[in-house]
Amino acid sequence: MKRTPFQMAFHRRMTAMEKTLLAIIVLYVGFVALRSATFLSAATFFDLARSGAAITILALGVLIVFVSGGIDVSFPAVAIVSGYSAVLISRALGVDNLMFITLSAITIGALLGSVNALLIHFYRLPTLIVTLGTASVFHGAMAILLGMKTYTRADVPKSMLDFGGARLFTLDINGSQVGLTVFVPVVVAVGVLTWFLLYRTRIGRSVYAMGSNEESASRIGMGLLKTRLFVYMYVGGLSGLAGIVYFSNLAYINPAALIGTELAVIAAVVIGGAKLTGGEGTILGTLLGVVLWQLFQNTLIHLGLDSSFNDLFFGGVLILILGFIYYRQRQANKRALVFAAS
Amino acid sequence: MNRVAQYLGRDKELTVLTTTTIVVTLVLYALLGQRIFSLAGMQSMSIQVTEFGLLALAMGLAMLTGGIDLSIVAAAGLAGLMSALVMSGQIIPLTGDNHGVLLVLGVVVALVTGLLTGLLNGLIIAKLSVPPILATLGTMIFYTGIGMAITKGNAVGIVVPEFARVVSVAVGPAPLVFILLVLAFVAVGFILKKTRFGRRMYLFGENDVALRFSGARTERTIILTYMLIGLVVGVAAIIIIARANSMRVGFGESYLLQTILAVVLAGFNPFGGKGRIVSLGIALVLLQVLSTAMTAFAFSPYAKNLVWGALLLLVMTMTHYVLRGRRAPKIKTPVDMTGGREAPTGTVRTADKALLTQ
Repeated sequence: MKRTPFQMAFHRRMTAMEKTLLAIIVLYVGFVALRSATFLSAATFFDLARSGAAITILALGVLIVFVSGGIDVSFPAVAIVSGYSAVLISRALGVDNLMFITLSAITIGALLGSVNALLIHFYRLPTLIVTLGTASVFHGAMAILLGMKTYTRADVPKSMLDFGGARLFTLDINGSQVGLTVFVPVVVAVGVLTWFLLYRTRIGRSVYAMGSNEESASRIGMGLLKTRLFVYMYVGGLSGLAGIVYFSNLAYINPAALIGTELAVIAAVVIGGAKLTGGEGTILGTLLGVVLWQLFQNTLIHLGLDSSFNDLFFGGVLILILGFIYYRQRQANKRALVFAAS
Repeated sequence: MNRVAQYLGRDKELTVLTTTTIVVTLVLYALLGQRIFSLAGMQSMSIQVTEFGLLALAMGLAMLTGGIDLSIVAAAGLAGLMSALVMSGQIIPLTGDNHGVLLVLGVVVALVTGLLTGLLNGLIIAKLSVPPILATLGTMIFYTGIGMAITKGNAVGIVVPEFARVVSVAVGPAPLVFILLVLAFVAVGFILKKTRFGRRMYLFGENDVALRFSGARTERTIILTYMLIGLVVGVAAIIIIARANSMRVGFGESYLLQTILAVVLAGFNPFGGKGRIVSLGIALVLLQVLSTAMTAFAFSPYAKNLVWGALLLLVMTMTHYVLRGRRAPKIKTPVDMTGGREAPTGTVRTADKALLTQ
């Protein structure tokens, strides 16, 4: 059997979802490139990579929760709370070190995530409602305890400014400098780490097992509490990292930012083929979903449409893709005489 | 006395909720007194609770069938926008004598838009088997997108002068819109209790496969449920635009958490099959009194959010403890008919339906 380059690299076939998404992205990029001469340039893509970095990290966290069979809407609140408090800690202690700030953000994020995990595990509550509640509690508690002061460029720790401004390499195109941000290796590292954890470690396999069938996973001896703690602490940690990346990129610290984007990020992950019923979802699909969302967010302008059309296009595509995925499943269930909607 | 205790014990959650509501109201009355519990204060509270109450009712209906409708606020926004556009004079110019026609047309447009949004949700959920939470997440973005594409984010003002007066009309001491809310609750309560469709909504939430095997057309039940939700949302949209006398995209996004809070507080089971309209009414009273009191104490929006979130978690964990004692006796050990060769199924409690279907 002939193996495609994709199979050689990933040791699996491309899922139908990934093919569809890739086709849509290629068609869309091709269409926009035909309509607008300025679209296909290094500057556009470097810009997309920079603005989409934090969202991509968040989306990878959301993917893990989806695989475990849950849904988390508290991650923007966790990102903001951990990022903001890490910055405040750094300012209070006078330690202006990127490593220190990032590590404290990740630690705080993981701690907040463990609160989610414990509530979900011990009270058997629906993950959506728990995380909806904790999101308000985390953000509200931060507003009361730490205040809602915004910090402009002058007050942002210098190490974060350097991080946000650092470029991997710079190209000189027609006299203007465009560079690829250092966020890219960070995002790639997170992607590889997530892939490694999900596919190559025992805990990652138990996340898939728990998402597919919790009862079975528990009976073959996988600890559900341990798995849940891992899932939600990992998401919390990634959210903390994403918070730092987000603030560094903007060079402006606004404790009201990101809140309200949770459903859009979840939509991007869903479009990538992750299923709410758990046990399914690929990293490549998630990345493609985020790319498609970012393209709709940022490139409609090249088609002569203003940004008011973002949601219309993204919502339309989301509904079509969801209908497509679940209608196929419905047909398969019909053939297999599966009646439970699972 | 015994009969009273029996009556109260029949629905423990409702009793607990009612007691809590009465105690909280009394405490706040002692603290704030006439500041919020005057006649004018009560009237403004009853107007405020109306739009939120209708949205909570819509969310409750979705939860009865074991679903959730994230699109209600977006759908209300879209229905309100369409209605406001009709009454803005931009499409049909306002002349001296067509006020009445425009007003009726605006109301009809809001209701029809609401119904259509519900129909689309219902079709996607029933015919394509998309889980309600994802289907309504998609339509939420889509409905917001339609509104955004039409208005470019600008507010649409209403020029029919009679329309805003709808809010200030009162029947005796009670505002008309509040009576509308009560009527909506009674009507929905009647549908749920007395009609075949209403009973099927409960049964679907309890066990959709069993309902289907008993010969009910479950897909039709779901489509009708979401259309009913759409209709309620349409009514909510009318009240929202009447209060603000204009409409813009993104209105009331914080309502989504609060409607879920109200519904869960009222003892609705998020996995479906359980919930009473009476309880929802009492939960709304409690939330509205709390909300007004927090405004009176000058809480920041973040502090309010904190209270709502903490309340949601508290109610959910309390319900867990209340229900834990009740669920245990249901587990029965089936008779072993294999002579011990195979472990009988059901001897170990299978994972909660909850955890499998969320």
